[in-house]
Amino acid sequence: MGSLAAIVAKDLRLLARDRVALVFILIAPIVVICVAGFSLASFYGAGPSGQTAYELPLVDEDGGELAAKIGEQLTAEPRVHVRRVATRAEAERLVRDKRAGSALVIPAGTREALARGESPRVLLFVDPVKYLERLNVRLEVLRARDELAAAERSRVVTELAAQRAALREQLEALDATLARGREQLAAAEQGVQGERARAAAEVRAAFESAAARVRSDVARQVDAQLEALGARVDAEVAARAAAVAAPAREYLAALADARTKFEAWFAELQRLADRRADRIPPPPEFPEPPPGLTRALDEPPPRVTLPADLGIRIELPAPSLPSAAPPEPAVEIERPSIAIPDLAIPGAALAVEEVSVSGGPPTINTFDQNVPGFSVTFLLLGMLLGVSLGLLDERDWGTLDRVRALPVAASNILLGKLASRFAVGFAQMLVLFAVGYLLFDISLGPQPWALLLPIAGVVFAGTAFGLIVAAGARTRDAVLPLGSIVIVTMAAIGGCWWPIDLEPRWMRTLALAFPTTWAMDAFNDLMIRRRGVEAAYVPTGMLLAYGLAYLGVSLALFRRRMR
Amino acid sequence: MVSAAAPAIAVDGLVVDRDGRRILDEVGFAVGPGEIVGLLGPNGAGKTTTLGVLSTLLRPSGGSVRVAGYDVVSHTKAVRAAIGRVPQDIALYPRLTGRENARFFARLRGLKAAAARRAADDALASVDLLPRADDRAATYSGGMQRRLNLACGLLASPPVLLLDEPTVGVDPQSLERIVTTIRAQAANGAALLYSTHHMDEAEQLCDRVVLIDRGRVLATGTPRKLVASAGVELRVDVATQAALRDGWLAGLAGVRVLESDGPQRAGRHDVAVAIDSLELAPRVLERASGERATVLEFRVQRASLHDAFLALTGRASRD
Repeated sequence: MGSLAAIVAKDLRLLARDRVALVFILIAPIVVICVAGFSLASFYGAGPSGQTAYELPLVDEDGGELAAKIGEQLTAEPRVHVRRVATRAEAERLVRDKRAGSALVIPAGTREALARGESPRVLLFVDPVKYLERLNVRLEVLRARDELAAAERSRVVTELAAQRAALREQLEALDATLARGREQLAAAEQGVQGERARAAAEVRAAFESAAARVRSDVARQVDAQLEALGARVDAEVAARAAAVAAPAREYLAALADARTKFEAWFAELQRLADRRADRIPPPPEFPEPPPGLTRALDEPPPRVTLPADLGIRIELPAPSLPSAAPPEPAVEIERPSIAIPDLAIPGAALAVEEVSVSGGPPTINTFDQNVPGFSVTFLLLGMLLGVSLGLLDERDWGTLDRVRALPVAASNILLGKLASRFAVGFAQMLVLFAVGYLLFDISLGPQPWALLLPIAGVVFAGTAFGLIVAAGARTRDAVLPLGSIVIVTMAAIGGCWWPIDLEPRWMRTLALAFPTTWAMDAFNDLMIRRRGVEAAYVPTGMLLAYGLAYLGVSLALFRRRMR
Repeated sequence: MVSAAAPAIAVDGLVVDRDGRRILDEVGFAVGPGEIVGLLGPNGAGKTTTLGVLSTLLRPSGGSVRVAGYDVVSHTKAVRAAIGRVPQDIALYPRLTGRENARFFARLRGLKAAAARRAADDALASVDLLPRADDRAATYSGGMQRRLNLACGLLASPPVLLLDEPTVGVDPQSLERIVTTIRAQAANGAALLYSTHHMDEAEQLCDRVVLIDRGRVLATGTPRKLVASAGVELRVDVATQAALRDGWLAGLAGVRVLESDGPQRAGRHDVAVAIDSLELAPRVLERASGERATVLEFRVQRASLHDAFLALTGRASRD
């Protein structure tokens, strides 16, 4: 382990002091990524950042609002840089001189034709060589057209809706006016009824008042007559009673005196009878004068009571009121039915909504492809230089033989080289991805740490590949052509420089034999398609398998050379 | 473990074939602990191949090769642990500092971090590079790189050192330092196999030399013994203003041209001539003067290992 660590440390020191190598593995890829990122942007349409916008000359022969709107629409699109030119000849010249891939002409009368309901055509000058630019510009023009049509349709629909709403409001105002009229009529009718009731009440009250007065006068006169009659009856009764009472009172007094005398006689008798007194039968009782008689003699004669109600009824004829006229029927005002027709929606162009099945955005940052692609390319080139040329350097310096003559296993020499280059390659990839993230805002996917899997896989495969080249190429002159041809082929076919989908099917099948293909598949899944770590499992496994296979081959080659 | 009795390096009947061609043919020699043995030979002689087999980088086609008592084929790891290899070409990481290079190779020798730090500093100190230890190797001069290259082979004091022309292109100061370091390693008991083109260096440094050419061992022994066995005792160096024509010594017995350099600089041509006896020296001077090529310098000296080397391997240029 000590010798292995020493070899790793030595290789890292050598690399750290090799400015050319540092420039190659860090600066060169960044420069190439910048160049490629900007220049290859058209593979994905122009970059959304606007840094790679297409030049689009625009000629407005129509001079109308339409051209202005198209111009505004395209100007707002960062993928296109609209340049207004005066004539179609000038626009054509710009395309012919390759200063623009396409030029848009809006012929005179376009707006009027549209207003007449016709379908006018705009003119797009194109350079057939600039195929992608032509397609992308055409797409942008069509998109602008669709957006303008959608905006116009939206405007018409809004206007119709506003008119319909205004009509509805007017009808509602009319209905409200009618309702108010009906209410006022009802109120007037109620007023008439009230006046009539009030008049009847007044008549009835006047009659009742007169009737009460008559009844009062009659009762007063009857009462006075009765009072006089009673007084005369009372006087007559009193006179007759006084005439009877005097002889009665005298008789009663004589009777009371006789009784007193008898009682005294009987008491004397009993006394005289002494012991025989009890044998004397009781004397007969003197009758007591009736109390009523006594009371009648003591009291004045009762007054004659006159009946309180003589039962005199005075009936007055009820006043005759004019009968209330039957209410007039209410005035019914009916609004004729006015139906507001349904809003007629003008037909619209069929819109296409792109839905990314992976959840990622439909348009991508060019650098999401270029940063991993060129990082892998320069990783492999770095491995070629670092491992293959590194071993050749050691041979040229004589240190390889010197180390071989030391008591250290040959496998340790290779493993040390492998480990140090793996560490450097891993760091190189991390730095390049970090630069991509900071400078070009590349996506790191939903799980940025998942990128470590394919990075580790491709670094391992690349390192082992460098060992193969080192073992197979005996001279520096053989390393560069052999290694660079293989690396360039693997990078290009593997989708490092352009999307692999641009390649024909047979080439894509062939590409499966290259580790670069699996690495880019994993990076595209994680970064562009925004998939989770599970998307990296199979590609990383394939990369590790390639690495192990390369390692086995390289060890076999080295053993053969060492013999 | 290297026993005192057994040689640290024992090569016997070593054969290496490559692509149907025999590179080494029955090569045999031995190096004992504390001994410095020079492996000499012209380009393509098989020196580097021999060192490659000894350092386990090449498999022998035949013969027996043992290092520190271990067979290089069956005990590769043990052999690698026992050797310190200093390759002919500088084998360093130019973007690492001297200390980082040394520590890295020390770690790969199996030392723990702390031990590797100590071993690296010791090795750098031994080649006098500590003051520049934290500078990148790429900024070192050629001589400093050679010293660092050597230091990285000396880490952890291996019992066997395989040095493949470690002094190529170094200045005298660096050469002196390298030689001193190598001697110190031998003094500490290491067995050194030292491949070089510099005969004077081998003559000064090596206890013994093994001279090989075209994959075969031509001679072994001490430098003096090798010179003697080559039949070269005296040599004459002649510098003339104009080139001497071919056959200028024709008819003169007991002399032969050892080497003839082209014009080293304008108006000077050097020729080395072996003479069997001192009496032949004036005759050579006469011949050179008679060629109307003004003699600028004339020197008579004892033959060296260099002369013996040329005598044994010939004057023809090698690929």
